[in-house]
Formats: sequence, C-alpha cells, structure tokens
Amino acid sequence: MEHSRQTEFTSNDGKDTRDTTLVVNGHFDGVVKKPSAALQSPATESGSHRSAASVSESWKEEHARSVEDNEVSLPSLAAAYTTILRGLGEDPHRQGLAKTPWRAATAMQFFTKGYQETIIDVLNDAIFDEDHDEMVIVKDIDVFSMCEHHLVPIIGKVHIGYLPNKRVLGLSKLARIVEIYSRRLQVQERLTKQIAVAITEALHPTGVGVIMEATHMCMVMRGVQKMNSKTITSTMLGVFREDPKTRDEFLTLLSSQPATYNDWQNNSIIFQSMAEDHSSDGCCQTR
Amino acid sequence: NEETKASQKNDVAVEQFHSSNAFPELSVKKAAHRNLQEGSRKEEEDQCRLPSMEAAYASILRELGEDVDRHGLLRTPLRAAKAMQFFTKGYHETVDDVLNDAIFDEGHDEMVIVKDIDMFSLCEHHLVPFFGKVHIGYIPNKKVVGLSKLARIVEIYSRRLQVQERLTKQIAVGLSEALKPRGVAVVIEAAHMCMVMRGVQKMNSRTVTSSMLGAYRDDPKTREEFLSLTQN
Repeated sequence: MEHSRQTEFTSNDGKDTRDTTLVVNGHFDGVVKKPSAALQSPATESGSHRSAASVSESWKEEHARSVEDNEVSLPSLAAAYTTILRGLGEDPHRQGLAKTPWRAATAMQFFTKGYQETIIDVLNDAIFDEDHDEMVIVKDIDVFSMCEHHLVPIIGKVHIGYLPNKRVLGLSKLARIVEIYSRRLQVQERLTKQIAVAITEALHPTGVGVIMEATHMCMVMRGVQKMNSKTITSTMLGVFREDPKTRDEFLTLLSSQPATYNDWQNNSIIFQSMAEDHSSDGCCQTR
Repeated sequence: NEETKASQKNDVAVEQFHSSNAFPELSVKKAAHRNLQEGSRKEEEDQCRLPSMEAAYASILRELGEDVDRHGLLRTPLRAAKAMQFFTKGYHETVDDVLNDAIFDEGHDEMVIVKDIDMFSLCEHHLVPFFGKVHIGYIPNKKVVGLSKLARIVEIYSRRLQVQERLTKQIAVGLSEALKPRGVAVVIEAAHMCMVMRGVQKMNSRTVTSSMLGAYRDDPKTREEFLSLTQN
C-alpha cells in the first residue's frame, strides 16, 4: 500500500472518518482527507478518537465568528460579567469596576479571536517555491492561550521546525498560524497538534515538528499551586516522526544558545541548518 | 460552708472546662474561634452564589461562539466559577484572622525583610491575572510577627479584584496597623497579563509599585538599605 507522506499526516490527526464534509480547522481545501483504515490508530486510542471527533465537530465552519457577531454578543457578555462581579461579592458600581464588564467582555473576545480567523486569510498566499530542502526552524514564539477547563491563561513558547518540499512559507505566517489556534479555548495537546496539521496542510512539507512549553495559570494560581511547573507537548509529523536523526537535529538546534542582539533578545530567531558543523560558522555566540 | 464554696468553685471550673471543649487553646485564641464560625458562613455564601455564576459563564461560552456541549467544556462553567471564587477569596479574610496572634515580643529593632513572595492577583479592569513578587520589610518596635504571616497578609489582599497601587498600599497599611512597627516598606514587581496578552502586547514589561511608611518614608538611608537588600 503506497501512501504519500501527506495522507499519513491526516491519519495521525485521528479525524472523523465517517463524514468527509466536516471542515476542520486549517483544512482550507474544504475536504478532510480520509485516512485509510489500515492507518487507523489502534483500539487504545479510541478515547482520543472520540474526543477528536467532537473536536472536529466543534470547529465547524458554521460556528466561526465574525466581527459583527462580536458586536452583537457584547451586551450579553457584559451582563454575564456583571453577574459574576456580583456573585463574587463585589460592588459593580464602584468607580474601578464601573466599565469592567465591557472591558472584560472585549478582553475575552480578544483572547478567543482565533475563532474569527481562518488559515486561508492568514496565509495570504505567502507560499514560495524555493529550491530548499533543509530544515527551517522558528523558535521562541510567545504563545498565549486560554485553558478551556478553567478559563485561565496559558502562557508559553512554541518552537516550530519543518523540512520544506520545495515550498517554503513566509516566516511570520508560522507565528500567525500559532496565533489563530492559540487564541481559543484550548488544551495544550490539541493546540500543538493543530499547528502541526495546519502547516502540513498548507505546505505539504516532508516533515513538521512543533514543540510547546507553557505554564498553566490554572496550576500556578490555584489548585496545586506549583509556581515553576512547565508543561511540554510536541507533535512530530512526517520525517520528523520517522527519522530519529532529523528529530535529533531539530531538538539540538532548539536548545542551542541563540545569538543575542541587544534589543531583540526575545524575538523569534530563525535557524537554518547547514550541512557542515553548525558551531563553526560563527552565527551563534555561546554565552 | 467552705466546703460548699469550694465545690461551687469546682462546679464552675468544670463547667468552664466543658464549655471550652476541654481544649484550653481555644478559649485563649478568640481569633481562631471567630474564624471557625466565619469560615462556615463564607463557604455557604460561596455555595449559594455558584449557580448564578455558572449560568453566567455558560452564557459567556455561548456568546464567544463555542459549543457548550462539547466534551472539554461540559463542566467548564462550574470550574471557572470556582476558580474565580478562589481568585477572590481574599474578600472573606481579615488581617486579624490570619495573624493568629503570632506576634512575639523579641525586643528586636533591626530590619526584617521577607522577599520574593509570589503574588497572584486579578486586574479589576479586565478580570485578567497579574502576578509577580512582593518584597516586604519592616522595622519592629520590639514586637516581631511570624514570617509566614507576612505572606498571608499578601494573600488576603492579592486574592481580590485589584489595582497594583492599591494592593501595595493595603499590604503596607494592614501590616502597619496590626503591628505598629517603626516602619513598613512594600515593593511589588508584577507582569500584567492585560498588557502582555492583549492591548499593547508588551511581553517583557513589568510594573513596580512601592509603599513606604514610617521610618522608611522619613529616612532615606533606611529606604536605601531595604532597596539594596531586596534588589539582588
């Protein structure tokens, strides 16, 4: 059975095989590639399959928001926040809280603005045919999401690497893809996977690797209250999954010290792998 | 006659013994006793307010365009409401309850500093967290307070809908009224998610506020000593 690497990616997603008309996040061609039965995940993953099915249903195109929807829902959001303020025992009419319901509602809409955007809009045709087939990594992309269980922020960094198959993506588009999926009510595992699958669908590269490390305020501010804990999830697709050497190269490049420019310390920095020894070309300073 | 008096005294003593549940500590620590009663009242309050907050969160999820019936969101309104109640539990607590009479006569009059106290609060304007570190210093007036009580005072005032300036001042004033020390200094350095996650989106910005009372306000050298000890 000959399968191109691309269809392998879609099977890893565990998508619903029953309904090909469901449009899942990031699949801008509108058709879900049906994974073959042979590549179906084993029975142990049936739980995740069920939840993956409900994930794909909840991201139907029909539920996507528009800017007008935002304006229309603002009053009821504000009313809900007023109820919450009262429920907490605060006085919603004191000076500091007078406009808080509206501010909190707009803030929440901003934190979930990923529902309004689609991959097609964001990619903006920034896909270029470059005769490049070495790894491209964009790391330290700040990511902010919302925990879907407690509605409390998740704060972290995403590192993305991919092996182009003659087509490269505009670099900021990687960060924009992260933004679309992170500005939603999320679970870190699903977020990592959605980013990886979106890049795969857009570019059909030889492989994609996405690693996310984040602090969950729901664990830090409440509950167990572990200040320094970090959650790390990763998704490796294509050659990143199959070839341990590629994965190794990706992970090594992530942990190397970046060149620090004085004012640009926290921006994402691009690394392109070279065939020769990486440390000898002087583009990295060791601290 | 003396015997009956003695036995009467004995009866009274026995009654007192029983009324205080035979635990002498309880009869001495009035604050703890009060806390026992107040605790249960606060929990009841929280429980009755939960349904309306749950409904509010469910409507928020709906208005944001989410599917409230999907697996991950089924119990989210309840969890979010409880989380919000936890983030504002400071409203129910007072400094008196928390100090627990942990004030000791040490005869100490040099600076005492507790630094790097992790603080988590909610911005009252956007209901979004802000968090950082609090450094507290005070010069006792012969009376020192249990060290964890400083952190507990921070907890009381930070677990509310706050503005960082007000939080700093409340901690300083709360400590100063409870202890009456020679001086109190509080410095808070925090990152505001309302600035980092939205709006201007400046990842690395930090807000620093301070409140100096007593000797820290009057004497620049004292202030300098505190700042140099906490800024390392």
